[in-house]
Amino acid sequence: MRTLIAGVGYSNLSDLSVGPLVAEQLGREEWPADVEVDDLSYGPIAVVHRFAEAEPPYRRLVLVGAVDRGRQGPDIRCYRWDGVLPPPEEIQARVAEAVTGVIDLDNLLIVTGHFGVLPPEVFVVEVRPRATEFGMQTSPAVTALLAEVRRLVRGIAEGAPGELGCCVGGAGGRALAE
Amino acid sequence: MCFKNLPIEFDAQGKMHLREDAAVAYGLRERPGGSGPRTLSEEQVRELVARNGYIKDVDFDPVTRVAGALAFHAVADLKERKVLAANSMATLFRGYEVIMLGRDPRDAIFITSRACGVCGGVHAVTACLALEMAMGLVPPPLGVVARNLMLAMEFQYDHPLHLFLLAGPDYSRQLVEQTNPEVWEKAAAYRAPGRAWHGYETVGRIMEDLNPLTGKLYVEALHMTRVAREAYVVLGGKYPHPETIVPGGVSTTISLQTFNEYYVRLQKFFDYAKKVVAIWDDITEFFYAVNPLYKQVGARPASMIEVGIWDDPDAYDATYANCDHWGERRWSTPGAVIDGKLVTTKLTAINAGLEEFVERSYYEPWAGGKFATDPLGNPLSPYHPWNKETKPKPVGQNWKEKYSWSCAPRWDRQTVEAGAYTRLWVTAAAQKIRPNPFLEATGRSLRFKLPRAGLPEVELEWKIPEVWNAFERNRARAYAIAFNALVSMNDWLKGLDLLKNGKTEVATPFEIPKHGTQVGVGFWGAGRGWLTHHLVLQDGFVSNYQIVTPSTINASPRDPWDNMGAYEEAVLNTPLLETFTEPAKFKGIDILRTIRSFDPCMPCTTHIHAGDRTITREVNTCACGAED
Repeated sequence: MRTLIAGVGYSNLSDLSVGPLVAEQLGREEWPADVEVDDLSYGPIAVVHRFAEAEPPYRRLVLVGAVDRGRQGPDIRCYRWDGVLPPPEEIQARVAEAVTGVIDLDNLLIVTGHFGVLPPEVFVVEVRPRATEFGMQTSPAVTALLAEVRRLVRGIAEGAPGELGCCVGGAGGRALAE
Repeated sequence: MCFKNLPIEFDAQGKMHLREDAAVAYGLRERPGGSGPRTLSEEQVRELVARNGYIKDVDFDPVTRVAGALAFHAVADLKERKVLAANSMATLFRGYEVIMLGRDPRDAIFITSRACGVCGGVHAVTACLALEMAMGLVPPPLGVVARNLMLAMEFQYDHPLHLFLLAGPDYSRQLVEQTNPEVWEKAAAYRAPGRAWHGYETVGRIMEDLNPLTGKLYVEALHMTRVAREAYVVLGGKYPHPETIVPGGVSTTISLQTFNEYYVRLQKFFDYAKKVVAIWDDITEFFYAVNPLYKQVGARPASMIEVGIWDDPDAYDATYANCDHWGERRWSTPGAVIDGKLVTTKLTAINAGLEEFVERSYYEPWAGGKFATDPLGNPLSPYHPWNKETKPKPVGQNWKEKYSWSCAPRWDRQTVEAGAYTRLWVTAAAQKIRPNPFLEATGRSLRFKLPRAGLPEVELEWKIPEVWNAFERNRARAYAIAFNALVSMNDWLKGLDLLKNGKTEVATPFEIPKHGTQVGVGFWGAGRGWLTHHLVLQDGFVSNYQIVTPSTINASPRDPWDNMGAYEEAVLNTPLLETFTEPAKFKGIDILRTIRSFDPCMPCTTHIHAGDRTITREVNTCACGAED
């Protein structure tokens, strides 16, 4: 099963840069031939083009990133994306953001989802950031989670996600690190 | 004599001097003769709102389909169908000027590049130009050509976005049918004059494909952004935020293969330009035909400024002393246009006429300035960027006092605007474009000879319009795609010549001066027009760095004399032609068309309400509108 593991986020924004950081770390590890690791932090529209042309198509996508949901929650949330899209006006706004430089995990899912290019299985491993200002290092709390994040990603990419306890639905996703 | 308000006169040699009779040089007391409309006082508006149910406060916060955070407040008389008051607000402080203080000047390339998620390459180049001037560093010809080619292609990303993703939906069936059903009915039956080029039988069919998300023109624009990006990275290696832009040229290896790969992408824009120009000609002429009052939507005096872009490798020497010469040798001529008249093409005069005011912005004023003159001895205002200090001071919003993070740039103390269209206007009027096979300026128009690709060769002509409004901004933006493509073609041929003659150097080595004071200015342009970086170095470090972007100019609030900014003027002049049965159903499409025609690029902060949660995102991208 052709699988892509990808980080999403800006560089040098402390914990908000977990996506690119984990992608870089995972890229140095050994993987089966059908698993690729990359950084998709170059804009959702360019990612749309990439998925649209992938041959053979990817069957599974595992995205890693940090998202500040603005409230307390589990440190790591791992879920299968349900593919539910917002109303067209919001999609339009997200496309406008995407082409004007916004790099964001939600944006990536919505824009690529709208254009129908995502692989059939999309999983997200989401880290709750503590430090969100400019910085080349993650906070101690998030640094301590990185090994668990990598383990979860590997499990999803190589195994059967259901057995790993990933739950369906982002907002209601069960915390794995609790 | 190009200055009407500043106390500057020219001697017989063309050198500028402060006028001897100027009572107080650069004083703020005397009100310059503003060319824009005057607005009602806040008290008058309040009184009208109180006694008239048709007077409505219209707040767009944020204005959607623009890059970043722009809010706009208007007071509209829905019975008389006119706008009574207008305020443009940049709602975020970014502070690149503050970030740059005390840094190694080379950081400017990479830090200021982050000012915009679209325009990173132009900020990087503009920073390099400022450094080249400060260091006396001249790039080799192929380095100049490579920069030109990259930047022309950067704009080919920008223009389709504006025309089909950001402004375009305002003319789509989806919106027109809602806001002006009678216009849609006419469009459906209106034969499109440009159908041989764009393939649409009626304007209604064009409008259908302008529909957001699903329209073919919308989706095609997304595809063309990819073509432009590919062409850019063939030369520049990476985008956004290229790392190959360096003072003294570029740091990539350029070969015949590079040029061939670039050309494969470039030629796609020959046909795209033919199609897009026909589409926007047809849209514009259709609206004028349906209702001539559309000519007043977004109208304001044709007063605009431009510093030019795309250097002549045989003329550019990076010096301020020769900037009038190398500026006029650019493919896009520098210039100031006031009330439709070109008043100068000299970069020294354009620079001397520039001031920035903060009386209506969230900043403290600064005292005096270090530079009474530019490096040639021409007088400079204490409000000039080389003299400016950025001192943020957020306070509560008050329309009569401070209400924006954008400052108020003015030229000769007049409200001006900037845009890709300004390049066309100045270049057409100045007739200084150097001889070439593809572009010709007639004084009243700019002619483009687009080569054959999939579509036949054609000569297009953009004419300086009789009225300056939202439709003409968009129409000119379409022609700007042809302009970029043919600038690229000229530079591509020049680059091949250089390669053929063995002139393959792309960069000149440099060292940062360790002692003394050096000044430089990058005169360049973003996809949306004017871009300058004013730099002061002190003992090897940045002691002042000031960025003026097109959206800072266009989104500006009022100035010390209460003259409005360009968005504000244009909205105030806009008739409300939307069809609505009651005030509650008013959408403000004419106001939005006006604002979006400028292609605002503001600092990005987005507040998103998603079900039971509110996500506040602050993202490190477009800061074009309020970088100071």
